Amino acid sequence: MAEDARPLVSAKDMAKKYGDFIALHPLNVEVHAGEFFGVFGPNGAGKSTFIKLLTGQLRPSKGQIEVLGVDAVRDPQKVKANIGIVPESESPPSFLTPAEFLEFVARLRGVDDMKAKVEHWLDWFGMQEKRDTMCKDLSKGQRQKVMLASAFIHRPKLLFLDEPFANLDPIYQRKCRQWLLDHVAEGGTIFLCSHVLEMAERMCNRMAIINDGKVLAAGTVTGLKNSPDETLEDVFIRLVGHSIEDVERFTEEGISDSEE
Amino acid sequence: MNLDTSFIESRTWDDEIPERLPSLGTSAHGAILTEPLRGWNAFSATFRVMFVEEGRKSVEFAKKRQMVLFPLLLTLVTAISTIGLQFLVGDSAAQSSDLDNKTFTWQELRFALHLPLFMFSLGMGTFAFIGRDAIIRRTGSKNFLLAAPALQPLPNSMAHFAYFVKDLAFYVMLILTPIIAGMALGILLDGVAGIRTPLLWTSLPWTWLAMATTLGQGLALSFLASSLWLRGRPFTIIGPVGIVFLGIGVGLGWLPTELLLWGLVAQSTQNGLFIIGGLVFSVGLGFFASVLILDDFDVSVVERGDLLAPIYGRLSFLGNGEIRLIVAKEFVDLFRSGAIKKMTVSYAIPLLVLLGMAWLVDFADAPIPINLLSYAPFLGFFGFNFYSWLTILDSPDFMNGLPLKVPDLIRAKVVVYFLATSWISLIFIVLMAWRLDEWASLPTSIIVMFANSIYIVALTAFLMGLRPNKAIFDASIMIWFWIGTVLPLLGLFLLSFTQGDVSLYGNWWERASQDGLAATAQMYDDSMVQQGYLGMIIISILLLFASAVLWKMMDRRWGRAEFSN
Repeated sequence: MAEDARPLVSAKDMAKKYGDFIALHPLNVEVHAGEFFGVFGPNGAGKSTFIKLLTGQLRPSKGQIEVLGVDAVRDPQKVKANIGIVPESESPPSFLTPAEFLEFVARLRGVDDMKAKVEHWLDWFGMQEKRDTMCKDLSKGQRQKVMLASAFIHRPKLLFLDEPFANLDPIYQRKCRQWLLDHVAEGGTIFLCSHVLEMAERMCNRMAIINDGKVLAAGTVTGLKNSPDETLEDVFIRLVGHSIEDVERFTEEGISDSEE
Repeated sequence: MNLDTSFIESRTWDDEIPERLPSLGTSAHGAILTEPLRGWNAFSATFRVMFVEEGRKSVEFAKKRQMVLFPLLLTLVTAISTIGLQFLVGDSAAQSSDLDNKTFTWQELRFALHLPLFMFSLGMGTFAFIGRDAIIRRTGSKNFLLAAPALQPLPNSMAHFAYFVKDLAFYVMLILTPIIAGMALGILLDGVAGIRTPLLWTSLPWTWLAMATTLGQGLALSFLASSLWLRGRPFTIIGPVGIVFLGIGVGLGWLPTELLLWGLVAQSTQNGLFIIGGLVFSVGLGFFASVLILDDFDVSVVERGDLLAPIYGRLSFLGNGEIRLIVAKEFVDLFRSGAIKKMTVSYAIPLLVLLGMAWLVDFADAPIPINLLSYAPFLGFFGFNFYSWLTILDSPDFMNGLPLKVPDLIRAKVVVYFLATSWISLIFIVLMAWRLDEWASLPTSIIVMFANSIYIVALTAFLMGLRPNKAIFDASIMIWFWIGTVLPLLGLFLLSFTQGDVSLYGNWWERASQDGLAATAQMYDDSMVQQGYLGMIIISILLLFASAVLWKMMDRRWGRAEFSN
């Protein structure tokens, strides 16, 4: 097998169960270099569990996981050392400043020219004015910028992003989106989880839709549509088990209830 | 399967499991992989920022002024105590003054220095629990470096070890060093305006190092206990039972006190090897405790039946106000988090040690007339830790958006404390009455015990609100806490001696008021028993009244505070 043909991320029979609750049914997945791969699904579908398993934050109930040639179950530290992670709804440490936290992360990751990189990312995210403010006193959007910067600071080949643009203003959403696309164009690989379908259309070259811990469909964005007229939202609603009519009727009933 | 593009498929859980393959054949595509930091490098990178984080956490609650005042207060109190030493041990040289005709020996004073420090450090060192809480709450409004291993290439064990060393260094800096500075100040004042102290300069470095050893030992033991507890059975049973037996063994003198307090041995012998050995062993024990911490970042997703409604239903005696609802919610937190188990065990352990000792010792041989009423006031003190834990069970931030006030939550926590622990205290006092055969004083003991218990937790809640763990560094709060607890407790404790075995101790109280601790019993005065009894009842009623006042004043103190722990 040629070196370049092997995937960067591979999981076989990976599953997660909490007691009787199955958070993720067994699945096989491969993500190759240079891909922008997105996993989409409704709230509670298992997206965050998926990303946490691949990044060594959770141990699978069964199955094998390899990331960058490293067994993520046996050596999660090495996986974390070589990837970037932006978790869903996690803040940087409350009592450190953005500059301190980025320096801490850079030091742990052995980043060369640490001070310059910290300054670069503070500049890039427009956080210089807040560089000495404790993270607990930042707005949610500013905290998200710090988390993004901490994932980008060592320029990892492989990034795992879980709702990366949550709370970001449109300017920085656009700026980050372009940076991620450039990163993929330069040979980087991105694994994204979100429920915002617009991100799939704008960024992903392949995607999967999951619900109740199971993959419902996978392919290219256009490949998932039944017809050219069908929107990705229609695909999503259809796949997660609702009819468009039901959703519309529910919406109308909701409005008329509130009007009464 | 297409090897050039991504591939994903899933199946149902119960399908046949494919056999494990040696490798899935992934590649880093020629990139040289970074090795995660390990050992000293990982420790040093983490320790420094954790120290900064700890300082900011403390300042956030206590404010800078109070944070500076706290060590100054310690220095001042220690300086006064250093000057007062001459009245306790006489004015001869510190190292050779164990005089028979003085009240305390130097060894007793050293013990009185190390034991409270050891107890304090035991209370502060449950780092495995603290780390687990940090992991569980990392998606909440506050996040701490202790949760960093979930995302960063840092072993959880190393983060915990750095946290242990950080806490040890922080307490040495904030507590031990000011104490030594106070001793130094006392010695400096020797000879000024007739002030004298028997303490010598040469004692100070030994005392400092010995106290650091005791502190490190307590933190490490507590850390180890919490690490083992998180490993589940059989440690959750063996650990508490072992601690009870160790406590009883040391209390009864079956095991040497030196086994419990390494710092005390080091200070008594002034042997450098003991100091180095004690410190190294403490840090080593902390390291061993940290090695037991797994890289486990799982936060269980568990489905449960409704617990809130049934608990709310059973709390009808609390009326229909907000308190009843919050108390029900707090009990759900207690049960669901599993904290009720470890909190009950930690509350019961010291009581079991006391009970075990009472079972095995004939207090007729004791130097002071301890009786059932002597135990009753001290039960309240164990409530401080219980209340502290109650405040960190769950983040109350979500309540900011609800029509509730911080005093409602504080009051609810006091109620929860009372409901969760009063049965343990009651069982303890009844068993103690049985053991000591003092049934006659049981009703009074119950009154004294509950009055104290309610009062101390009400005072803690009033002064410290939702952050008692941070308030210990606030000088003004600690002064009020000290005045508010020590004075009434000391009064009750001393008065309890009037109710002991009077045939043996006679007019102990009367003699003690004249001759201090050097008193000897000479004759028995029945009126002293009556006055002592009346005094205890009056103090208990006053404490209950004070609790009611504090309860009312919660609104004034915390009414405008925001929900945050």
